[in-house]
Parts: sequence; structure tokens; C-alpha cells
Amino acid sequence: MVESKEYDVLVIGGGIAGEEAALNLANIGYKVILVEKDLSIGGKMIHLSKVFPTLDCGACITTPKVSETARHPNIEIFTFSEVQDIEKHAENDFSATLIENPRYVTDDCTGCQICEEKCPVVVEDQYQWNLVGRKAVYVPFSIANPRIAVIDIENCSLCGLCEKVCPANAIDFSQVEKKSTIKIRSIIIATGFELFDPLLIPRYGYGKFKNVVTSMQMERQLVPTRPFNNVLRPMDGKMPDNIAYVLCAGSRDETVGNPICSQVCCMYSVKQAQLLMGALPMADVTIYYINIRAFGKGFCEFFQQAKGMGIEFIKGKAGLIKEKENGNLIILYEDIQQGNVKEAEHDLVVLSVGMLPNTDFTEIFKNSRVEQDLYNYVNKVDELCCPAKTNIDGVFVAGTSTGPLDIPDSILSAGAASAEAAGYLNGGVK
Amino acid sequence: MKKTIDIMKEKRKVPQGVKDKIKAFNKLKKKILDSLKEGEKTIPEIAKEMDDDIDAITYNLMTLLKYGFLEAGDIDDNDEYYYYRLKNKE
Ligand SMILES: Cc1cc2nc3c(=O)[nH]c(=O)nc-3n(C[C@H](O)[C@H](O)[C@H](O)COP(=O)(O)OP(=O)(O)OC[C@H]3O[C@@H](n4cnc5c(N)ncnc54)[C@H](O)[C@@H]3O)c2cc1C
Ligand code: SF4
Ligand code: SF4
Repeated sequence: MVESKEYDVLVIGGGIAGEEAALNLANIGYKVILVEKDLSIGGKMIHLSKVFPTLDCGACITTPKVSETARHPNIEIFTFSEVQDIEKHAENDFSATLIENPRYVTDDCTGCQICEEKCPVVVEDQYQWNLVGRKAVYVPFSIANPRIAVIDIENCSLCGLCEKVCPANAIDFSQVEKKSTIKIRSIIIATGFELFDPLLIPRYGYGKFKNVVTSMQMERQLVPTRPFNNVLRPMDGKMPDNIAYVLCAGSRDETVGNPICSQVCCMYSVKQAQLLMGALPMADVTIYYINIRAFGKGFCEFFQQAKGMGIEFIKGKAGLIKEKENGNLIILYEDIQQGNVKEAEHDLVVLSVGMLPNTDFTEIFKNSRVEQDLYNYVNKVDELCCPAKTNIDGVFVAGTSTGPLDIPDSILSAGAASAEAAGYLNGGVK
Repeated sequence: MKKTIDIMKEKRKVPQGVKDKIKAFNKLKKKILDSLKEGEKTIPEIAKEMDDDIDAITYNLMTLLKYGFLEAGDIDDNDEYYYYRLKNKE
């Protein structure tokens, strides 16, 4: 029988919260297994441009943390992997099934991308939020960790070219899914959030009108590794000069099942608007908002700074978006201050999509169930005294798995989770 | 030496959708590259010569740019559209 590998802590999810929690625990000597579903660790943050309110470069902050996590001798990372059937047998005694999906590329890959050049298949690049194509064999993105290729087998034409040209002999179509059992003493759930799908609000025309984009697509347009050669309209490559932001797209909206505020959209929109003023100095930027929620340190000043730069703020709720033949968009909105309905034309509309719970955690436990709160995030059963505690002793929660949070708050939450997990491992906090 | 691709070929068939994607990309790739052989053009200029949707042209042109077939030149006089030209792939 194969021996199951043992660790002190299982961290599920390798976003900023999972990395922080794993590092804290690894630094005090615990053996950590970090399981990430995606091809790279880094979560959403690794794809962001700059961060509010300091406008520091997102990648410059996150990549050192990503590499520290990847290199730490006490952390073993499994990307493109999942855990299932977690069982609690006693305190400090959990087991789980680890599932490693095949990449069809071995660790010998140097990330040279020669295979990518030769591969004949082009499909939408999910790491550029579908604004541009990628190949069926691809290195996920330039700062991915691990920076090795993967074959999207569903879209592979089985031409064999990648295997023929790979100088490192790293292509291996014989790989299969691997399952093993692991034993752990404690667990941190850091599976993060999902982005609201704007197709659920058909009156905004997302998917139908190519110049209606999401804030995540705009984040990608604002990074140096952007999908286009500048910030451009996806329909026709025009440089936009009159951009609108529609805030609360899918947040604070009972009709789409998400009544709460996503906490980050106001500030990331104010951030993007400022970055756009830098990237496109001639452009007008208008933000349609219900309320601006600038509650953190320096946030109000950041908002005032945006106003000072000439960004227009209209207290208005966008009702309908229509498309003109030239791709421009007409927004019909309720002017909340004046109490009437108005129209405005823009050449690009950004929907500031909100955060939704990622409910994966409800399906990965076998003999117990992690409680959800009213909004389907992980329930914090003792929020005031032990903010990372869940209903299962020994299972803690970090980051946006607990609810909408920005990066600093996700890091704080991960700090709490690692401290509480360390306490539990030492026979203290349950 | 047996290539591992043969193992996969025994297990899977190539879906029709994948074959269609290859065809669609190659068709637009050829049209865009042929059009730019005449000299640098903006996306609307390329679109005028074809009956394909302009958003499909933009998507595929940007993919060709990403994979080094093209490069971006200057922006037009109205500061609206960039010119794109063939890149010498050496
Ligand atoms: C457009 C946009 C712009 C933003 N800009 C800013 C900003 O400027 N400043 C700021 O402070 N915040 C910003 N944020 C918020 C920021 O992205 C979040 O605060 C942060 O990413 C939360 O990190 P996290 O680790 O909790 O979650 P995530 O980043 O979602 O990471 C979760 C990780 O868990 C993995 N995972 C999920 N399910 C599983 C599973 N079942 N098994 C294993 N792994 C799993 C995911 O693949 C992912 O890697 C922005 C958000 C958006 C949408
Ligand atoms: S699989 Fe081979 S060809 Fe492709 S990136 Fe890796 S080393 Fe390069
Ligand atoms: S075998 Fe598949 S992944 Fe490899 S080059 Fe051909 S289509 Fe691309």
C-alpha cells in the first residue's frame, strides 16, 4: 500500500490570502501543502495592473510573494490540482484525496514557448479575459508560477507538432490524472471569490456589444502585458476617448441574487479611471455610481484626487445600454440627484463587476459540512474573537472566502487564519 | 521512437469544433496578412476589404500581433486607429 504523505496544514487556494497563510505557517516551521486549482498560484491579484490607493504595481508586489511561496522549503505546492473527500477523524487528524490533473507537459519545460509558436489551434486566452487568442499548448501567462506550458487537451488537434519541436522533450501525452491520499492536521480554506458574470444583466449588452467590457478586462488592458498594443476598443481597435464606468454591476442588486456591496469596485474603478487618464491623456472618463464607498485609509483622498484630475462622477443608476452602428454606446441612466432619466453617449463602457462567493468549499468535505453565511461565503462562527474560525474545529478561513475584501484586508485575514491554525496545532485554539 | 501523441490518439478523437477553429483562424490569418502585404493599414481599412465582422478581424489581428506576425505602427491623424504592418519574422 502506498503511504499517504503527511503535512501539518493544508491550504486550499493559492491566491494572495492562501500564499500569506502558507508562508506564515511555513516560517514558523510547519509543513504546508498548498493546493491550487488553477495552472499558476497568484489568484486574481497576479492579473491586476496597479493597486488602490497607492497605485503600486500589482505584479511587483505579488511576484516576490509568489516566488517566496514557491521556493519555501516547508511548502509543497500542487497547481492544477484539487482536494476532495476531506474527512475529519479526530482533532489534528484529517485525511483528503489529492487530485493532480495532467498538464501533458513535464517539469523539464523551460517555458521557451517554441511549441506555442508551432501549435495550429487558436482559442480564447482566459488569462486575457478572452480579448485575444492563445494556442492549445501554452504558457499560461508571463509571470505564471510555475512558468511551464500546459496542453488544453479539449482544444488539441493531436497534430503532434509540439512534441516534435520541444527542445526539452517536455511534452508527455501519456500523463493521466493522479490520485493520492494525504494526511493533515489542520486546514485553511482560501478559495477566494468568483467574478460576477455580466451576462446575467442582459440590458447592459455584455457579450453582444463588444465595446462593453468588464473591469477585469480593463485591468488587463492597463498592464504592460496587455492583450492589445494600447488600451483599445475590442470591436475595432479604436483608441477610446470617452469611457464610462458603471458601478455596482451585479452588486447591491437583489434581482441578480447579490444584495451586498462588493467593497472593491468603487475604489478599483477610481484607480482604473486615474490610470486611463495617464494612458490616454485626451480621454474623458465618467463614473456612474449609486454611492462611492471610500471607507479605507486614504480612500477618500484617492477619490478626491480622481475628481481633481477631471474624472466626472455622476450619481446615476444605469438602466439600459444600447449600441450605435459605429460601436458607440448609449447609456440610459436615472440621474439620482435630479430624479429624471437621461442619456449619454460613450465609446467604451466598463462594467465594474462585483465579487461573488466561490462555493467550492461546500463540496470538498466528506463527513462534515462547512457552514455558509447568509450570502454563501464561509461562515465565521466567532467573528469577533476568532475571525478565521469555521464551524469545524481545525478548519480555518482566509481572504475573500469569508466575504468581499480588498488585498490588504485579505492579507490581514490570512494572518488571523495562520495564527489561529498555529494555535490549534499547538493544542490551543479550536 | 514511439511519440506519446500516439497514446493520446488512441484515447481521443479531435472534436469537429477544433477543426473548425483551425480553419476559421487560418482563413482570417491569410486574409489579414494578404491585405497587409500592400502596406500598413488600420483595422477599419482592413475590414472594408472583407465581409467578415470587424470584431473578428480585431481579435484575430491582435492574436497575430501577439504571436509576432505583425507590429503596430503610428496612430492615424485623428488619434483613433493604429496602423499595423507585417513584421519580418527572422
Ligand atoms: C477588477 C478587480 C480589480 C481589483 N483591484 C484591486 C486593487 O487595486 N486593490 C485591492 O486591494 N484589491 C483589488 N481587487 C480585489 C483583489 O483582487 C482581492 O482582494 C484579492 O484577489 C483576494 O485574494 P484571495 O486570495 O482571497 O482570492 P483569489 O484571488 O480569488 O484567490 C483564490 C485562489 O484559490 C483558487 N481556488 C479556487 N477554488 C479552488 C479549489 N476548489 N481548490 C483549489 N484552489 C482553488 C483560485 O484559483 C485562486 O488562485 C480587485 C478585484 C477585481 C475584481
Ligand atoms: S513544452 Fe517544450 S517547447 Fe513548449 S515551452 Fe516547454 S520547453 Fe518550450
Ligand atoms: S498536438 Fe495539440 S497542443 Fe500540440 S501543437 Fe498540435 S494542436 Fe497544439
